[in-house]
Amino acid sequence: MREAWVVGAASNRFGKMKETGREAATRVSLEAIRQSGLEPKDIGYTFVANCFGIAEHQAHVGPLINNGLGIPDTPSVTLESACSSSSAALHEAFVHVAGGFDDAALVVGAEKLSHMDTLAATSYFAIAADYAFETMNGATFPGLYATLASAYRKAFPTTDEMFGAVAVKNHANAARNPHAHFQKEISMATYLASPMVASPLRLYDCCPFSDGASAVVVAAKDFMKKPVSEPLVIRASVRSGSVTDMQDRPDLLGLPATRTAAAKAFRLARMEPKDIDFLEVHDCFTIAEVLALEDLGFFPRGTAAKESLEGVTARDGNLPVNPSGGLKAKGHPVSATGAGQVVEIFEQVNGLAKGREVPRTRTALAHNVGATGGSCSVHIFSRR
Amino acid sequence: MDASENQSPTVPHSIDDFVKGYEEAGKLRGFRCPNCGLVTATWGLACSRCGRPDLEEAELSPRGCIIACTILHVPGNEFLNDAPYAYVVVELDGGGRITGWMPTVRAETDLKIGERVRFNPSYRPGVQFIKESEVPPSG
Repeated sequence: MREAWVVGAASNRFGKMKETGREAATRVSLEAIRQSGLEPKDIGYTFVANCFGIAEHQAHVGPLINNGLGIPDTPSVTLESACSSSSAALHEAFVHVAGGFDDAALVVGAEKLSHMDTLAATSYFAIAADYAFETMNGATFPGLYATLASAYRKAFPTTDEMFGAVAVKNHANAARNPHAHFQKEISMATYLASPMVASPLRLYDCCPFSDGASAVVVAAKDFMKKPVSEPLVIRASVRSGSVTDMQDRPDLLGLPATRTAAAKAFRLARMEPKDIDFLEVHDCFTIAEVLALEDLGFFPRGTAAKESLEGVTARDGNLPVNPSGGLKAKGHPVSATGAGQVVEIFEQVNGLAKGREVPRTRTALAHNVGATGGSCSVHIFSRR
Repeated sequence: MDASENQSPTVPHSIDDFVKGYEEAGKLRGFRCPNCGLVTATWGLACSRCGRPDLEEAELSPRGCIIACTILHVPGNEFLNDAPYAYVVVELDGGGRITGWMPTVRAETDLKIGERVRFNPSYRPGVQFIKESEVPPSG
């Protein structure tokens, strides 16, 4: 296996896109390729994530993106892994490049649902749960994560403010991120006054529906004669799965897929959590960030919510978490989310995260979950 | 080849049988693994814990205890006119867990982890629970 690097990464502004997912995907792809110093013709394979492309009446969008980039002969494939679709695409690009099948590969994720009403968008999201055994039994995505939050609050002493601290911190970070859906700080009082969506989760515990597009270029170290940007060395690219339904999980105090992916990723990277300088984690709800930090091994079980309230995960804390604003406030355009996390890490390393810099950028970890944890990706990056 | 020829004789039911079980037969259907003993209310052809393929059919207990819960104020498409309602994960008395909804529980103060519930067969979709102490609503 040869060393693979992230050599370019770009996002548009998450939120509400006027253009189609196809147009946005093509635009961010070209920008990511430009940042790498490569040309479109250097791309050997395009891995696309566009989970809900059907909402735009468009399947098979990969060749259309490649056509738009002037590389119609380049192969492409669309992968679906719910909210972890583009980190799954990144893993495939890693396999192709590290395995020597291609010298460079493009990863691009795009989603557009804003032309639909909230109910239609919620219903699209709900088909990524177990439709027969969860959705038809009354579940929504907030509802499923709320059951995890209820189990956590029963098991560990937790206050509303501990979850609130995650929301307040991620909004503060997003307010400094030009890619973010929400560019406004919120106060704890605003958080506490927001209406219940699925108790104990309030409106400000939940990520928004966002449109957006993100792209990442992966290339072999020995192919990159003159990287234009500071590359991210991919130290580990790991995917895992787990029993999907809440009713079949022996333990509701975490996501088993995160635990298995993290253990393997740290082993492959020959690192431990203490070696990681900052993180982008999957915080579709505040409870998801709390569970992620414990499942990834950064905090003992039952302590991450408390640590968040104490500021440990703030941008200037000991362990900055989601300096981008996370899914919670940067936004969650399903198929663009995983690649978007890598864009944040790339921008932090390349001095492009002006106004939201983290103190140390030697190493970083990206954690992306599919739905309620049936799938998980963990990527560990370092500077050269 | 007919699809049924593929199925193990001990696992005769389909996802649709589960759903009909809730709505028509008034039963919570499930599987028991003869190898590791896992009881599950989710359809499959092999045990999700140990991988054993020849699952046995099991009828699950209609009574159990809430281990996780929420009050949903923003419903999905299928439950549009029902919110607020409770969505619960229930540990069933004879083993196995199942998720379901509780149309008669509408406030956070009205439900706690640890509370006893029972399955309430209904013409409505999905697995519906009521509190163990509650008289089933008519219809």
